[in-house]
Amino acid sequence: MDVRPTNAGARATLEANLRALRARDPTLAARVEAASSLPETPVATSSGQPTLTADGVLLHNAHDPRREAARWGEAQRERLAMADDPVAVVLGFGLGYHVEALGAVWDGPLVVVEPDLGLLRTALETRELCAVLARVTLVPGPIDAATVDGWGAAVLLPHAPSLLREGDVLRGLRERIAGRTVLRDLRLRVLVVSPLAGGSYPITGYCARALAELGHDVTVLDLAPFAGGMDAIGTFTPRAGARCVIETAFGRFLGAGIIAAVEAVKPDLVLAMAQAPLDPAVLDEIGRRGVLRAFWFVEDHRLFPYWREVIGGYDHFFGIQQGAFLTEARRLGNGRAAYLPLAADPVVHRPLALTAAERAEYAAPVSFVGAGYRNRRLAFRALLDSGLRIWGTEWGGAGPVEAALQRKGARISTADSVRIFNATEVNLNLHSSTWVDGVDPVGDFVNPRTFELAAAGAFQLVDARALLPPLFTAGTELATFTDAAELRPLLRHWLAHPEERVVLAAAARTRCLAQHTYRHRMETLLEMVCAADAERLAARPRGATVGDAARAEGGTPLGGFLATLPPQTPFTLDGVVQRLLHHEGDLTDPEAVMLFLHQFDELYVKEARQ
Amino acid sequence: MKVLVVNLTRFGDLLQTGPTIEGLKEQHPGCHVTVVVEHNFAEVVRGLPGVDRIHELDLDALGRLLLADDLRAAYHTVDDAVSALRAERFDLALNYSSSRMSAVLLRLIGVPDTRGWTMTTDGFRLISHPWSRLFSASCLVRRQAPFNLVDYYKRVAGVTRGPRRLRYEVPAAARIRIAERLAAAGVQTDTPLVGLQLGASKAVRRWPAASFVGVARALQVRLGARVVLCGGNGDRAVAEEITAAVGDLAIDLCGRTSIGELGALLERTDVLVTGDTGPMHMAVAVGTPVVSLFFGPALPFDTGPYGEDHVCLHADVACAPCDHNVTCLQPFCRETLSPEAVADAVVARRAGDWAAIDAAAARWSGFGWYRTGFDAEGLFEARRLGPPSAQTGETLRQVYRSLWKAELEGTTPAVSWPPQPAAAAAAHAVRAVAADACAQAGRVEQLARDATDVEALEAAAQTLEALDTELLRLGAIHEPAALLTQVLRFDKENIVGDDVHGLAVATRALHETLLGRADRLVQLLDGRGAGPEEDRCR
Repeated sequence: MDVRPTNAGARATLEANLRALRARDPTLAARVEAASSLPETPVATSSGQPTLTADGVLLHNAHDPRREAARWGEAQRERLAMADDPVAVVLGFGLGYHVEALGAVWDGPLVVVEPDLGLLRTALETRELCAVLARVTLVPGPIDAATVDGWGAAVLLPHAPSLLREGDVLRGLRERIAGRTVLRDLRLRVLVVSPLAGGSYPITGYCARALAELGHDVTVLDLAPFAGGMDAIGTFTPRAGARCVIETAFGRFLGAGIIAAVEAVKPDLVLAMAQAPLDPAVLDEIGRRGVLRAFWFVEDHRLFPYWREVIGGYDHFFGIQQGAFLTEARRLGNGRAAYLPLAADPVVHRPLALTAAERAEYAAPVSFVGAGYRNRRLAFRALLDSGLRIWGTEWGGAGPVEAALQRKGARISTADSVRIFNATEVNLNLHSSTWVDGVDPVGDFVNPRTFELAAAGAFQLVDARALLPPLFTAGTELATFTDAAELRPLLRHWLAHPEERVVLAAAARTRCLAQHTYRHRMETLLEMVCAADAERLAARPRGATVGDAARAEGGTPLGGFLATLPPQTPFTLDGVVQRLLHHEGDLTDPEAVMLFLHQFDELYVKEARQ
Repeated sequence: MKVLVVNLTRFGDLLQTGPTIEGLKEQHPGCHVTVVVEHNFAEVVRGLPGVDRIHELDLDALGRLLLADDLRAAYHTVDDAVSALRAERFDLALNYSSSRMSAVLLRLIGVPDTRGWTMTTDGFRLISHPWSRLFSASCLVRRQAPFNLVDYYKRVAGVTRGPRRLRYEVPAAARIRIAERLAAAGVQTDTPLVGLQLGASKAVRRWPAASFVGVARALQVRLGARVVLCGGNGDRAVAEEITAAVGDLAIDLCGRTSIGELGALLERTDVLVTGDTGPMHMAVAVGTPVVSLFFGPALPFDTGPYGEDHVCLHADVACAPCDHNVTCLQPFCRETLSPEAVADAVVARRAGDWAAIDAAAARWSGFGWYRTGFDAEGLFEARRLGPPSAQTGETLRQVYRSLWKAELEGTTPAVSWPPQPAAAAAAHAVRAVAADACAQAGRVEQLARDATDVEALEAAAQTLEALDTELLRLGAIHEPAALLTQVLRFDKENIVGDDVHGLAVATRALHETLLGRADRLVQLLDGRGAGPEEDRCR
């Protein structure tokens, strides 16, 4: 029996509930009002109270939801009583029975996380919830770190049927909150291992910077100096078999170096970037030293199958693809595999005020920066009369398209790439493919360029990717195409509408800075690591940050000096003095005192500390 | 006048500041001297005559705060100390600690007339005073070290008077305690007593235990002397080795004396046999003659016993003194000195028999024998006894001593050495480039004064920089030119400011000075005295 109030009644119930919600959170109230109700219909139980089966999951007891909720509430109250000043964080709202019950027996702060706005609307149409809505903080997600930090000692209270129904999303949030709660009290020592070269090399630096900004103690093991050695192996012999033997020996040499670095740095976590030369034996050695190992595989799993050989050696594996790949990665990686899309580094990828000379060098109506993959060669032929300029390597033999090639196909530095992004009216972004002629119809992951263009405040026309929609909104933040044939008309349109381009580019930058920086990614990565390995990591206490010390100092000269430094800087001599190295102008007294202490430490204390 | 003396941590160096402090008092009656010192070394300063106030820095406590990661407390400890020192409003600060740490401290205290290591307002090192720069340079070019540390200290402070020895006032209570301990060990008031200082800051400077045993036995036979073993806790193993060999002949007080008691003990000994150590300076300061052994990087000319009539024995080998950064795998210089030679020196010095010491120097020629004293200008010198050295470094040191005395004190050099053609060739090469640099500095100054052609000024400055680089390169290649060019480097560092023309004027003056010094060096190495002044800049 449908127990939802009649249309008019449902509307009245919803209105009353929304008023209560609006009083606490008008934005959420508006989002709930705009959402659609679930297709499922609440039904009456024998007690007369409604319950709901959604996606096949019964959210509340079919006989007496209130009684069931009261028992649940009492059990949670006992859990909460064991924590100091806890914040109760309930995962899943359902129709709200359990939240009401907990609110009745628990006086402390109460947060409810419910990502499904359709369910919330259904609940608000079905039951009179004004009292509970006035009592709780309702969080729809995504949840940022500051929100979790604001909760203090969060005690997570999962509503089991909600967890069953909203599986991945709610579990992800639970992991996020649990990880953040642990991470907040930790200052991790992270060794970031770069590859010798390649696209993931610059990402190493971006990740390291992000981790340092988050207040962690980061050491980068930069293996780029060894790239020449690897390249020079051909000097010894032209024979492939013999080269392979030498390459293996070179790999062992690098592995020994990596282990030595691990022993020197004594990290909590080794974060290896894609193509970093850690083979299973090296990973095993690192693991035996009690160090956690994480891998960010920022590559297409179809092109680089080596991930299968190493994933078993990592405690945590992150990829930029989902679906069957992630399922397989979880199977091979003991479940510790997660999706972590690429991002941008706002320090590098940013809007630039170009000089006249730079404009003369880089400006173009249409540009593309990247390597000359087959699909790009074919797709861009039709655009040669649009003022297209192509920057990048591996375009040799591209035929007519080579006419648009700049600097004779030389490698383009990151800095120049950003200048080109800024100097171009329409930036083309076509994900590479070696097996289709234009747009890869099954292309899923989003490349770094998408984020970098967005962060640079540049307008882009990008091929539609399966994983793009949750990251950027086509039409309001960037423009997409699904077929190379669309490029000419789309270019005509966008070149003719500069004002629209500006609006989209600004929106993309705002979105990117808010959600898609390497800082966000590293935060997510560490939260996942912490959620799974809290006990191992909790042994290392997080040192004070400059922000902590500045607050404690208040208005003293030291407090004033510290307030000028990034608040997440570790409040250590090295951390503070590192910031002084790039200092220009006269030293203030607090700066000089810090220099004195640093010199004293170098002379007399450092050895004792080691 | 209120004077601040900073010398934080070294026992011997602190004792060596004494003549400067007494000289200041003599030259500026009524001046008030405060010494900043690390807490553990304050006892040394309490024995220095003329010190009005001691400001102790407890660096151990500061270290503990940093080890406990209590950076805020460490900061406030330093800040409080700086504030207290600033409030004194000193007129003159003398920094005798050559470290970046002390440089920052002096910059923080901010005394208007600060000499020695300090810092520019924007954080670059300054070595403020020509004698201080010469000292810093000579630390890097040890073989040419022309002056004693005490003389550097005095000249940096502008002191020409003061005692020609170190002084330490032994606390009466310490004197009584030591007398009791010696009596308990069976030492009568008339028992000849020779101190053996076993340790040194580096192993390479230490004489082997077996050699000390040899000396102890020889002195017992020749003087009926007992030996008292001095040193720190780190020397206990060596002391036990010696006492195991000689039994009651040795009284082991290693690591068992306070600073005051060490002074009292050394005051009681007839002679101290020692390496280049703090106790060597203490013996000098309490009026006990020393027979001092210089191995490895130690050198009698710059850190030898500051006083009349001490005996220094220095390894007469081609590699001496070795660089401070060298790790010697075969310190054979320690083996070349026999216990008998040292016993000869002790017996003769105890008797004040310089003829016997001269004879010993002639007999034991594998070592350089030196008698300490002072030259006509009152500067410390270690005069060679016995046959002249086979090493060329001695003449070069004398040349440089004459050069710097002429340059910094205005004395007329008296040449007492034969021409040194090889060294003179190097000096000629430096002089030629210095002349070009001097002329170029003149062009830079002209362009800076006109201030119309910035590009030409930059180009001229770059040319001058290239010439300076060439000068430093010549100094690195040719040892005879090393000290000259090293001083140039520090002199250049000392030119600071924002006014381009002012900088250009100072740079030109610096190059003129360099050219004058190079001229004089050429003359001295050619075996000539000072020639007539001429317009040298081309």
